[in-house]
Amino acid sequence: MGLKVTGRCALTFKTVSGTFFYEMEQDIRQFLGNLQPEFDLTWRTTTDSYGYMWIIFEGKRIEDLLAGLTTVSDIVEERGFSDQLLAAVFEFSSEREQGRRTHQQYLIYNYKRNNFYPFVPTGQKTIDAEQQMKIMAAISEEIPFERDMTLWYPLWDLPLRSLG
Amino acid sequence: MFTKKQPWQRRDTGLTARMIVSFAILAILYIIFLSVLAYVGVSAIAIAVIAGILILAQWYFSDKIVLWSTGAKIVSREQFPELHDLVERIVARNNLSKPRIAVVNSRMPNAFATGKTPKSSIVAVTVGLMDQLDPEELEGVIAHELAHIKNRDVLILTLASLFSTMAWYLMRFGMYGGMYGGGHGRRGNEGGAAMLLILLVAIITWIASFLIIRAISRYREYVADRDGALITGKPSKLASALLKISGTMKRIPTRDLREVEGMNAFFIIPALSGDTLTSLFSTHPPVDQRVKKLMEMEAAMS
Repeated sequence: MGLKVTGRCALTFKTVSGTFFYEMEQDIRQFLGNLQPEFDLTWRTTTDSYGYMWIIFEGKRIEDLLAGLTTVSDIVEERGFSDQLLAAVFEFSSEREQGRRTHQQYLIYNYKRNNFYPFVPTGQKTIDAEQQMKIMAAISEEIPFERDMTLWYPLWDLPLRSLG
Repeated sequence: MFTKKQPWQRRDTGLTARMIVSFAILAILYIIFLSVLAYVGVSAIAIAVIAGILILAQWYFSDKIVLWSTGAKIVSREQFPELHDLVERIVARNNLSKPRIAVVNSRMPNAFATGKTPKSSIVAVTVGLMDQLDPEELEGVIAHELAHIKNRDVLILTLASLFSTMAWYLMRFGMYGGMYGGGHGRRGNEGGAAMLLILLVAIITWIASFLIIRAISRYREYVADRDGALITGKPSKLASALLKISGTMKRIPTRDLREVEGMNAFFIIPALSGDTLTSLFSTHPPVDQRVKKLMEMEAAMS
């Protein structure tokens, strides 16, 4: 269906106050600071209005992106904060039919359910459900997939694009 | 797959329930009528002939029964020019014969096809269907119904039900045979046992044919999806129509994951559903399976 990774992905977890969490954050920042030259990745972090910290990676190679994400989530889990992990988000673009508007498309990985579901926002709190169904049809056999559509919770205002 | 009963199955019931009830009443009338004939002493062969005539009559008048029981009205070009245009475009492109067009004044989005031969067939749509779907999606649904007509699915399903009806009648006559034929010189309870056995066989036959008819019906739906999608060349339009009709799209939540995260929504173990059981009894395959197959077609076509 012509889905292409854009080279942008993110991981988000809920922040809490406390020394242990602070130490974990330092671990993560240390890892992020030493990404180059081993991984061809750039990164930034942001905290949203819900109090979730986002780590956003950009890179050309999927292997690097995945390695970056899993290393961060491993650190979070090793430090005993796995319950704080919410989601990983992968951005896609697709070559759609001519004359139709193209939207950013996402696969959300839910850490609580250990599976993926599609997310295609079209504006303020609106989604392209048809496109989400198409994504499901295309990939639901290949990856662990959330088949219960009532759990396809959106993540509005994803900070993957807004720089700064 | 989904824990709850699909909304489209519930929605479907309005229209199909009326059809089923109508035909069930007819069947009961037959049985009463034939039982009376048997009671007054008409021979088994004569009863078989009469039953055959009744089944043929039902077959012959099936269109009228369907129209009458669903409240569908045949509409002229003047009343629904756009609908007629749409159907004519599809049939002209695909060298099919144009069916009569009927409209049901219901807000539930639905459509059906009926008719004994492609030439005498009827495609009916509800007002709700025309209201909710865009032209391309409506085209997809009508192409699906035209595929049912082209594939003579009404005939196939009628024949399938005919066999089950015939099996049922045969069992009944067998029962009379057991009651009256085996009585001479034997003890009464032997006849009773034979009767019970025949009843049991009758019930098993009926249940088996009921399930088989439903399996055939589900299979014919897949075939009509496929052929309908080939007619329009746009499988994804039929898929999105199915999703709209079924209300599936409305079930995708709009609340943010971060808002619901603390609400234990994800720890609820999905209830083990009676899904396999309901899917055995349903005449249509689950909508997500149909959408999946259609989207696979779309991917293969583009």
